[in-house]
Amino acid sequence: MIQPLTEPAENRYTLTPGPEGLIETQTLEVSIGPQHPSTHGVFRMDCVLDGETVVQLKPVMGYLHRNHEQLAEKMAWLGSMPYTDRLDYFNSMTNNWAYALAVEKLAGIKVPERAEYIRVIVAELTRLLNHVCAIGFLLQDLGAWGTPLLYAFREREKILDLFEAVSGSRMMCNYMRFGGVRVDLDDKMLTAAKEITGRFPKFLDEFEKLLTNNEVLLARCQRVGILPKELAINASISGPMTRASGVEYDIRKVDKYGLYGRFDFRIPLGDVGDVYDRYYIRVLEMRESVKILQQALRDIPQGPHLAPEVKLRNFKVPTGDGYGRIEAPKGELGFYLVSDESGKQPYRYHVRPPSFINLTILEDMCLGHKVADVIIILGSVDIVLGEVDR
Amino acid sequence: MGFLGKGLLEGMAVTARNFVGSYFDKERLVTVQYPEERVEVPENSRTFPFLVYDGTADKMRCVACKICETECPPQCIYIVMERDEKGKPLQRPKVFDIDISVCMQCQICVEVCPFEAIKMDNDYEKSQYGRFDELVEHLPDLLKSNEYYHKVKPSEATIVDAKLKADAEKKAKKAAPAAKPAAAAAPIPAAAPAARIVIPEDAPFNPEQRAWLSGFLSSLSPGVAPAAAAPQVASTAPATAPAEAPAGGWPWHDPGLGMAQRMDLAKTASFADKLMAAMAQTDCHACGYDCRGYADAIAGGAEADLSLCLPGEAETQRKLEELMKEAGKL
Repeated sequence: MIQPLTEPAENRYTLTPGPEGLIETQTLEVSIGPQHPSTHGVFRMDCVLDGETVVQLKPVMGYLHRNHEQLAEKMAWLGSMPYTDRLDYFNSMTNNWAYALAVEKLAGIKVPERAEYIRVIVAELTRLLNHVCAIGFLLQDLGAWGTPLLYAFREREKILDLFEAVSGSRMMCNYMRFGGVRVDLDDKMLTAAKEITGRFPKFLDEFEKLLTNNEVLLARCQRVGILPKELAINASISGPMTRASGVEYDIRKVDKYGLYGRFDFRIPLGDVGDVYDRYYIRVLEMRESVKILQQALRDIPQGPHLAPEVKLRNFKVPTGDGYGRIEAPKGELGFYLVSDESGKQPYRYHVRPPSFINLTILEDMCLGHKVADVIIILGSVDIVLGEVDR
Repeated sequence: MGFLGKGLLEGMAVTARNFVGSYFDKERLVTVQYPEERVEVPENSRTFPFLVYDGTADKMRCVACKICETECPPQCIYIVMERDEKGKPLQRPKVFDIDISVCMQCQICVEVCPFEAIKMDNDYEKSQYGRFDELVEHLPDLLKSNEYYHKVKPSEATIVDAKLKADAEKKAKKAAPAAKPAAAAAPIPAAAPAARIVIPEDAPFNPEQRAWLSGFLSSLSPGVAPAAAAPQVASTAPATAPAEAPAGGWPWHDPGLGMAQRMDLAKTASFADKLMAAMAQTDCHACGYDCRGYADAIAGGAEADLSLCLPGEAETQRKLEELMKEAGKL
């Protein structure tokens, strides 16, 4: 450190010997972000480094705050639906579902069976595209420039094409409505979904051949950023993060919302809870999602795709409060809604975003690791800043 | 696991296969050379809204009911209803602006429109050199023909056309029997010539003026059953025809009339009818009812909110409050 010039001359530029005759060292404060490609958006980490080792890390959020919750309290129930697309903009379908589920619980709306099947199909396709991209970005953070990410994007694009044909938009789907979905899946779309599902395992095999046993990946990811089981539970971590630490918790199994009780699938669990487990758990979850998709596409019944009694305009909800939660690809996504006497808009609207809560234990995972590991630990959490800051 | 570096080599083999395959394997040839090549847009695809007209641009379906303006989540629509020199609303927009830098392409305006007037385009090449006025679309930019709608969304447009046709037929059918008893219910000889004076076919009026005049004149001549004017309106302006009106009833149910004339027509009517006469008579369902239903709901106490009539604007709300006060209900 350069001494200020007001210091006495004899103190300037001197290096006092530390213990064991070494030069005395100082910790270094580094601010990673908010404009840094590895922070997946506008997110800042205030790191204190001892050499290259992290001794302190403070996540700083809020750069992308958009007043989502307050806006929703000034708007009709349906008006918030397109805004939920913009929470976790990778997974607009599951965001829609969580919000629709909360309102349906509050208003006591029964969703037709076909609509439930369609919801499961689009949600599992969303899980595929989220996980495949999460892995792509993780590899990008590791320094594998381009290749895995673009392979991931190639597959994601097929799913997004289907979403565009179904909902009208690739990412901002605005697809679910209270009591069902906006557009029915016709035969052409179902065939496209079947085709994507049929090809996906083949792609996964190739993707795994590229990555799973790669020595560089193993060296960088194993035993890095370990999240102990107890901490995962105490910090209410959810989604692939908590399952990689060996906690058997999946809302699809716990709540059996929608029709998840009907499908046969397993929950993959990790045992170490390091970055590699979090990578591999996502691969395994995609394989389970493919299983669910195959069953859903086989069993989907005919019928209405929207509950007929639900009004689009002047939709009113009885007084009360409700919490709807689903297993979004990143973890537990919940909407807590309070309706007052007017019933026209929520009195209170709160989002429980998985990215935000999964990010709270970032420091615990990073302490003692090198600064380069911080980047991949953050990558393995799989955050989207639209959801963290809302 | 074999030897160290086996995983690496396997990975390299995968990339090599993809690299070679990207020259001939269709599954790996994924890049589209935009703008020389374009991906075909699916029919459901949506970008920004436009307004549909039938035939010529002055026959727009929009009646300026402002439902979309109210429901638009980011509030990017701005509508002003056109009025004639006397201040009478003409049931079409004078100003219809959409700020596409604010629009988030959510399609809620399309879903809530009861007149099938606003639809989603799928034109995605909307770049401009500026970011303020250049990105505000005005009424002439927004108006597109029904043929254009058929071009961008063929199957959806066909369904909409069929629906509109069925609606028009239903209305015509309802209006036709209404006319007959009206004629029969006017046996007084003096009334017949009076009715004939109402609107001469060759009078130099456009349909809206004629519709307005018919309502106005029929209100001046007491002996004439006012429904005699109804078929006239139905034939000239089917979208706003008072089709549901029973014979001899609701003479004020004509969007061409001004507030004072409507209230005058409903002078002797019941309380619910007076409430109805205070409304804009477009049956736009902006309030969640048609004009009759909203009036009945207020009169019956089921609806307490008097501000729901969007096309009637503040005028209707004031009148409703006044009427409710008079009746001692407010």
